[in-house]
Amino acid sequence: MIKFHPSNQQLNTFSNGLMAPAESLIISAHCDMCIQCANKVVLYTEAHSETVFDESSQRLDPNLFGTMLSQITSQEIDRGAGSEPKNSTLELDGRKFTLPRSLNRFSESIGNWSHLVGKIWQAPVNIGGDTVANFIFMEKGGGVPEHTHRGTEMTLVVNGEFSDGLADYDSGDFMVMDGKNIHTPLTKSDEGCLVFSIVDAPLHFTSGWARLINPFSHLFFK
Amino acid sequence: MLIGITLENNKPDVRKPKDCAAEMAAHLDTVAKERCKASFAKIFGYFAPRLRSYALKQMGNEAIAMELVQDTMSNVWQKAHLFNAEKGSPSTWIFTIARNIRFDMLRKLQNRKEDICSDDMWPVLCEQTADPKEKSLEEKVTLQQVGELFNSLPDKQKAVIEAIYIEGKSQQEVADELNIPLGTVKSRTRLALQRLKDMLETHD
Ligand SMILES: [Zn+2]
Repeated sequence: MIKFHPSNQQLNTFSNGLMAPAESLIISAHCDMCIQCANKVVLYTEAHSETVFDESSQRLDPNLFGTMLSQITSQEIDRGAGSEPKNSTLELDGRKFTLPRSLNRFSESIGNWSHLVGKIWQAPVNIGGDTVANFIFMEKGGGVPEHTHRGTEMTLVVNGEFSDGLADYDSGDFMVMDGKNIHTPLTKSDEGCLVFSIVDAPLHFTSGWARLINPFSHLFFK
Repeated sequence: MLIGITLENNKPDVRKPKDCAAEMAAHLDTVAKERCKASFAKIFGYFAPRLRSYALKQMGNEAIAMELVQDTMSNVWQKAHLFNAEKGSPSTWIFTIARNIRFDMLRKLQNRKEDICSDDMWPVLCEQTADPKEKSLEEKVTLQQVGELFNSLPDKQKAVIEAIYIEGKSQQEVADELNIPLGTVKSRTRLALQRLKDMLETHD
């Protein structure tokens, strides 16, 4: 049961196409898993289209548009359609995880899984820009040292459950962590837990693991 | 001179998108089935100037804005057969095409190499195959209808319904926020719901 959703404002900005690409991606992946938010996106999109095109004073200027219209209608009609992307899977340790549709593209292109600390595994996803994206897998009993966040970290639970001392999260749950949050993610589920995470700035650990810099989504030892 | 196509440019078309949705859907159907240029010219006449003004606001550059209009309307011409009136209004379909193109254009303009495409998130121009994990047809139809009907509610009722059913606020919170008596919120909600219910029934 999904309990943690993006805010209405996030869903609204996502529908409008005005959100940064990385954030759009993780919101979209949540909507693939969450009918409630997918429904809101339909409503917001409908409302945006009404607003965007509600321009009563628009008239068609033939100087601007005349050649465009004839150019377009002289094009051949393309009967093809892109095929709907299929759900693809991510393999780790002989296990397969089905990815939300929006993340399909990355199933083939993620970097190698590396063993980080304790029972935590990480595979980087190259989405470019300044945003760091990773799949993180926590084996049973695996946890991340207590940390807070510099910048903003967004996490989507792709499969499994974990707790972080603040709340319990399940598949589909979406959370935003920033400097106000200090948490200690830990999974107790036998199946472990796979999450997708993006972060726009490194985070700052508060416990003895002082040399662990970077997010839940981007751990490494020095 | 345009051959066989009339650009009706004397008067602006002042109708709201929802007021000409049925007409535009019929034109899209004719374009899809018969490659009818006259029908396309009607769609173009209504949407191209609106798209231009959207694109200008978003991109702030005339040449890029016109490229966005051209790409969007080319897709409408070529992919009219992918429009499905049961899934949304013509204006929503065209808006989503433009939104996707804008999203991808902006990434290119900013020279960002993110491997994130609008198609991944919003597969507007894909044949939708049935996905067992997807919502049932019934749910989709109802949702679709509610979306359209929701937009046709009077603004005051819409505001109340939005706050309560989308934002999850209580009636009291809405009353405080809009600075109106609780009783008014209750009656607007009741009227709006009754109206939605009536419209859904006549829709069947
Ligand atoms: Zn949700």
